[in-house]
Amino acid sequence: MYNFYPKNTGLLRTRHRLHKILLIMKFTIIILAATILHVSASSFAQKITLAEKNAPLVDVFNKISDQTGYDFLFAGSVLKNAKLVTISVKNEELSDVLTKIFKEQPLYFALDNKSVVISQKEERTFDKIKNALQIPIMVSGVVSDTTGTPLVGATVINATSGKAMVTNDKGEFTLTAESGDQITISYIGYSSYTFTAANGLQIQHITLHPVYNKLTEVVVSTGYQDLPKERATGSFSVVDRKTLEQQVGTDILSRLEATASGLTIDRSTSNRPQYIIRGLSTIQGPRAPLVVLDNFPYEGDINNINPNDIESLTVLKDAAAASVWGARAGNGVIVITTRKARFNQPVSTDFNAFVSTAAQPDLNYLRQMSSADFIDVEQQLYSKGFYNDWINSNTHRVLSDVVELLRSPDANTASRIARLRTRDVRDELNKYVYQRSFNQQYALSLKGGTANSNWTASTGYDRNISELDALYSRANARFQQVWQPLKSLTLQAGLYYTRTETRAGRQGLGGITQYGNALLPYAQLADEQGNPLALPKSYSSTYLASLNGKGLLDWNYYPLQESRNNSQTGSQQDILINTGLNYKLPLGFDIDLKYLYERQNSDERYLHGAESYYARDLVNSFSQNTTGTLIRNIPAGGILDNSADILSVHNFRGQLNFNRRWGSHALSALAGSELRRSLRTSTASRVYGYNDDILTFGTVDYRTAYPNYISGSLNYVPDGASLSDIRNNFVSSFFNAAYTYQGRYGLSLSARRDASNLFGLRTNDQWNPFYSAGLSWQISDEPFMKMSWLNALKLRATYGISGNIDPAMSAVTTIQYAEASPYTQAPYSRFINYYNPELRWESSKMFNLGLDFRLFGDRLSGSLEYFRKTGSNLFGTALIDYTGGVGNSIVKNVAAMSGDGLDIELHAKVLTGRFSWTPALNLSYYRDRVTQYNLASTQGSSFIGSNPTIAGLTGLPVYSLFAYRWAGLNPQTGSPRGYLQGSVSEDYNQLTGPATQVTDLQYFGSALPTWFGSFNHQFAYQKFSLSISLVYKLGYYFRRSSISYTDLYNNWRGHSDYALRWQSPGDELKTDVPSAIYPAQSSRDAFYLGSAALVEKGDHVRLQYVNLAYEMNRQLQLYINASNLGIIWRANRQGIDPDRNNFNNSYVNPPVFALGLRAHFN
Amino acid sequence: MISIAALLLLAGCKKYLDEKSDKKLVVPSSLADLQSILDAYSKMSFGEPGEGEVSSTDYYITDANYNSLSKDNLRRLYTWQKDYLFESLSNSWYFGYTSIYAANSVLDQISSVPPGAERDNIKGQAHFFRAKQYLNLAGVFTPAYDPATAGNDLGLPLRLNTDFNAPSVRASNEATYQQIISDLKAAIPLLPVMPLSPIRPSKPAAYGLLARTYLFMRRYPEAGRYADSCLQHFSRLIDYNTLNAAASYPLAQFNAETIFFSVMATPAPINPSRAKTDPDLYNQYTANDLRKTVFFKRNTDGTYAFKGNYSGMLAPFGGLSTNEILLIRAEAAIRQNQTTAGMEDLNTLLKTRWKTGTFVPFTAALPAEALELVLKERRKELLNRGLRWMDIKRLNKEGANITLSRTVAGQVYTLPPNDPRYALPIPEDVIQLSGMPQNFR
Repeated sequence: MYNFYPKNTGLLRTRHRLHKILLIMKFTIIILAATILHVSASSFAQKITLAEKNAPLVDVFNKISDQTGYDFLFAGSVLKNAKLVTISVKNEELSDVLTKIFKEQPLYFALDNKSVVISQKEERTFDKIKNALQIPIMVSGVVSDTTGTPLVGATVINATSGKAMVTNDKGEFTLTAESGDQITISYIGYSSYTFTAANGLQIQHITLHPVYNKLTEVVVSTGYQDLPKERATGSFSVVDRKTLEQQVGTDILSRLEATASGLTIDRSTSNRPQYIIRGLSTIQGPRAPLVVLDNFPYEGDINNINPNDIESLTVLKDAAAASVWGARAGNGVIVITTRKARFNQPVSTDFNAFVSTAAQPDLNYLRQMSSADFIDVEQQLYSKGFYNDWINSNTHRVLSDVVELLRSPDANTASRIARLRTRDVRDELNKYVYQRSFNQQYALSLKGGTANSNWTASTGYDRNISELDALYSRANARFQQVWQPLKSLTLQAGLYYTRTETRAGRQGLGGITQYGNALLPYAQLADEQGNPLALPKSYSSTYLASLNGKGLLDWNYYPLQESRNNSQTGSQQDILINTGLNYKLPLGFDIDLKYLYERQNSDERYLHGAESYYARDLVNSFSQNTTGTLIRNIPAGGILDNSADILSVHNFRGQLNFNRRWGSHALSALAGSELRRSLRTSTASRVYGYNDDILTFGTVDYRTAYPNYISGSLNYVPDGASLSDIRNNFVSSFFNAAYTYQGRYGLSLSARRDASNLFGLRTNDQWNPFYSAGLSWQISDEPFMKMSWLNALKLRATYGISGNIDPAMSAVTTIQYAEASPYTQAPYSRFINYYNPELRWESSKMFNLGLDFRLFGDRLSGSLEYFRKTGSNLFGTALIDYTGGVGNSIVKNVAAMSGDGLDIELHAKVLTGRFSWTPALNLSYYRDRVTQYNLASTQGSSFIGSNPTIAGLTGLPVYSLFAYRWAGLNPQTGSPRGYLQGSVSEDYNQLTGPATQVTDLQYFGSALPTWFGSFNHQFAYQKFSLSISLVYKLGYYFRRSSISYTDLYNNWRGHSDYALRWQSPGDELKTDVPSAIYPAQSSRDAFYLGSAALVEKGDHVRLQYVNLAYEMNRQLQLYINASNLGIIWRANRQGIDPDRNNFNNSYVNPPVFALGLRAHFN
Repeated sequence: MISIAALLLLAGCKKYLDEKSDKKLVVPSSLADLQSILDAYSKMSFGEPGEGEVSSTDYYITDANYNSLSKDNLRRLYTWQKDYLFESLSNSWYFGYTSIYAANSVLDQISSVPPGAERDNIKGQAHFFRAKQYLNLAGVFTPAYDPATAGNDLGLPLRLNTDFNAPSVRASNEATYQQIISDLKAAIPLLPVMPLSPIRPSKPAAYGLLARTYLFMRRYPEAGRYADSCLQHFSRLIDYNTLNAAASYPLAQFNAETIFFSVMATPAPINPSRAKTDPDLYNQYTANDLRKTVFFKRNTDGTYAFKGNYSGMLAPFGGLSTNEILLIRAEAAIRQNQTTAGMEDLNTLLKTRWKTGTFVPFTAALPAEALELVLKERRKELLNRGLRWMDIKRLNKEGANITLSRTVAGQVYTLPPNDPRYALPIPEDVIQLSGMPQNFR
């Protein structure tokens, strides 16, 4: 239930969760206004049974709270002087029990409406006098852990006087103090204990509790072990459930961008968003981080995971953190930890539901050329005979509406063209195609535990309707059980089942296409009454009209009918079964055996209905009419494509753990090995002439080439069949140890070797070793560092080597069989890898230095990290002399790089009163540079493309943005001008050819953000809490698109910049858009598109989400959430969202608004 | 326990780690693997150079078509500019050397497969493909073979193994042609007379290609001899009276005359939607010559487009067919003063091209007349096959003094005989990446 309270309401409450109490202890202000809420849902008895010996008071509170549902409210400092509690009661009233407990405590309690309010006792007069005399007293004690083992070397410090000592080999200590002094005993890995020195105090028997029992302790999970963050040497960024819950959505990983430190999502160098942890570790290899779900890498579709099942996400950033994952960890690791139950836990229920909706996308973001401009161009081109060969082509190539009108003019031509000028296809897309999107999510989870078993059960359901009316639905069910039949034996089993269903929606931008990928700006999708209209697509409409009466199927394309005539559905089932066994051996050893099996079945069914354009087009193309009767070589009817993909993964891990403490030494180590096998098979098939009502289908001849009905060229009927079988086997062994001395000095080591069957690797290369080492120093535990404002200070440093397996690398030539050649009926093959003796392994090393701190009573906490990484023999795509015969580019070891950066994570409690404000800042800086460059080509044009390539100059960022130097437009002609050997030139072949080397280009800067992170704020006032998240990316450049006349004329692809083009002398002062010329010159276009005139700064700040929660009572919370709120500041003046710049037809996603409810019951 | 488990694991490791990661992936080692490489028809046979055809003048395009070409380099190619004639990366150089790599991979591996007829066949195919590509490239990128200068003329970089890291070094034109000859001579004894499909090389195909090679080298006795060897195995001719002249492509794919099947890339200027047959050439076909209707389609504007591709499709035929070999034997005979034999071959061919009952055999009193006749018919018969460009180069070396000329938007472009521009510039990006010398422009 704790998760359900806004963190900083100013109220201090606890409720039967120890960690809640501890969390709240950090607060120093208590407001006991009548804001305490009462919820009458508790079903717990108020009779209490307790048997405690020397237990900390908070533990006792926790137990009472568990049994009664009462909250304990107190200020953090109040329990400072609390004594250990020894009590034994059976079925007694709460008030009696409390009286017994508080008798010995320097504290008062008051029962108030399901809460126990605790306050400090006033000093009695006698005590005041005695304390004033300040008589030195002797204080002594024995420190042990919960098993009674003495803790040797524990620090005992008199916080008042600053004197310190350590416990002896029996865990004993004696020191002098004055009455009232605060004595603190601490030991790393244990919570510290403080008491007040007083006269006549007996020998203290002090039991320290291990910290990992504390839930508030930040625990980092590597997938092999869970360890308290304080003991880790590596670099981790943990995002807890509370933070994750501030965002809503179907998937979980996308929430990291606004919350994790050191992670960014790159949307500029690749078409698919890429998660990047601390910059790039590889250039050519796979760039995605490894995703680990609980203990094993997750191979299935990441969207299968229900976010409501997730307890935390941990990003492993440095080599020490990640090296335990070996060869696949080079890009960092994201560990997803699911929610778990504990022993002795009453059954609790959580429920979460939300609905969200977003407006139709704003298509005005598209840089679409106006219809009037487009038609002007078409009229000019027509008058110059540009379309003659389109018209004459034997393929009867498609002509636009305007060209068809111009081709056979009549009295209405002018008025019809005039009408087209006023049209905008976006109006119809808005009207008939796009809609509001609508998502729903429901999740219910239960958990509970007895003394020797605990369980979690959850279920979830999502249903999303996209802006194109596509459906995505997901149902999850999860059950997890842990048994402890013996004290030393723990068994664990779990099942996670997901089923998703998808249904394709309407065709939108990029789906409705005419010629190539183009869509005319004046395309008409429907008439005035909304009836679907035919859109010219592949063939001239005049020509198609002439085919009427020849027995062919209607050959027209009606985009608005397509969604009705096609049915594309998919389903996926994913089952994850995990089992585990842990057996405790003597001497601190224990054995862990884990096995995981995953199976994901995906099926897709794509029915191109008999009326779909695809089916009609294919049937017609394969029709023949040589003898006067029409022969259909493909039977009319639907075309059904089925495909199935099965993924199965086995993981087995055996691990021996050792955890032991002797004297001031502590060692925690693990060693083990692991087998992993993943198998992916897929099949696809197709039937023609399919009738969905009676499941009949026709036959076709795949071995005969038929002439195309229109062009006469020969084609074989596509068989739509494919098979694949891919299996990856891994064997790994690993070792990991962490040693601590005196609880202050830590040393960690890890090593791992991986071998796999990745094709073509020589056995020698298969066992790749990865190492790391780390040191940590808990500075704040040093006696000389005891300062009241310094709560914690820890320095850590790591160094390690991590790897990146690129299956595309090969030491042998490999071919892949394709389908049978229709000529020889034997399968032919193509080359996949070329034997390249010059290839070397890529390696990446990382050094990390981190400082963790908590200051001023935790008002300011965070971490500061510096890292440095070097990569050598990095793969990159190198242009090569294609005389070699293996194409124009090859993956080679092209470069070495070094990079460094900073990750700063700050959490502050600026206001902690009735109105609280806690900001959190993630700031990362990353820069890298090429240190060695081996590419053959330094021709400028290789470094200018829509996607950034590796810099060709050492000392520059790996992804650098270059552009042709820009000398403005020619004032007489409006032609773009560049520089050739220092002088202004319009020789575009030279400007974009070998005459321009990379050194002749203008260098702007990194193409990836160099500064990035998030700045989040949480505000709370009474029952309201508000979270606001800003995400920023700074210090980089991108290239924007503009008009290419070659594209405009030939591919119908215009750009709104056309309107800004140079038209008459003087325009060059106002615009950089070149004049339109005919014929277009592709090198002139290429020069302009790659020129400095189109480079923009990418810096921007985005309002990622706003979440407002209202706590109706302790069990119910309502929230509203807004996300995708857009950019609030950008450096470019073009209104471009640099994250939505790379693709054609990309629009900015509209804001999403969600309304949700969370509930928690015991 | 863990260590026992680990030991067990490691014992099973070898097999586990040797399992294929993708069942479709294969290290080429068996006969079937090697054959499958050569059967990749789109790589081996579907993109032979079309640049020679674009540069020759059996056709023209209108100014409007010229301006509407989407690629600037094609306009430059059409008007015989001296540089930037190729689109970076996608051009015949790329296609040619990619096929050569495939052939080299097979030749590198061939000794590791068991000997026998099948191995011989595959090895022969690889030699043939390599020769075919080198001859295609030589036709476009090197000057006409001239025995006097061939030792110094820049030829092609000769890549005979799969080491793509080796620098490209241009061999002499002499060495280039010798390589083609030696590959074909190696192929002849290995190849079967009847291949599984005309898309695979055969013995007659290798003889025919060798005849074509010697013809380009102007070594007519050898050209005639190997043409004859080819025809000994393959001499089928199609009677054009049996063809449907109205069809989009009257000549079928794998028709009876096809010795070896391959097709050329179709650069935009020679696409029949633009390319209009030179009217002087069209008018050379007489009324009873069936080629006049089988080869040509009348455009709406009264011009003629070519449709007589032996490929049976839009892309021009790039392979070998009986008609070409017969014409080589005829020309070789005539040049060796065996006029009668030469004229007999010519008439054997042309008889099948005329309407039944109308053919009057051609006669020539003088060898020069016969030569003129056979060259004229060669041009008319082997239209749109990329051969004309090589013929012009060769015939100008023989003193034919053919000057090419084109008018675009009122501007006249000419290409005088033996101009260095007859060897097209190697794509600039290749020169840049390899540092090889460019053709003299």
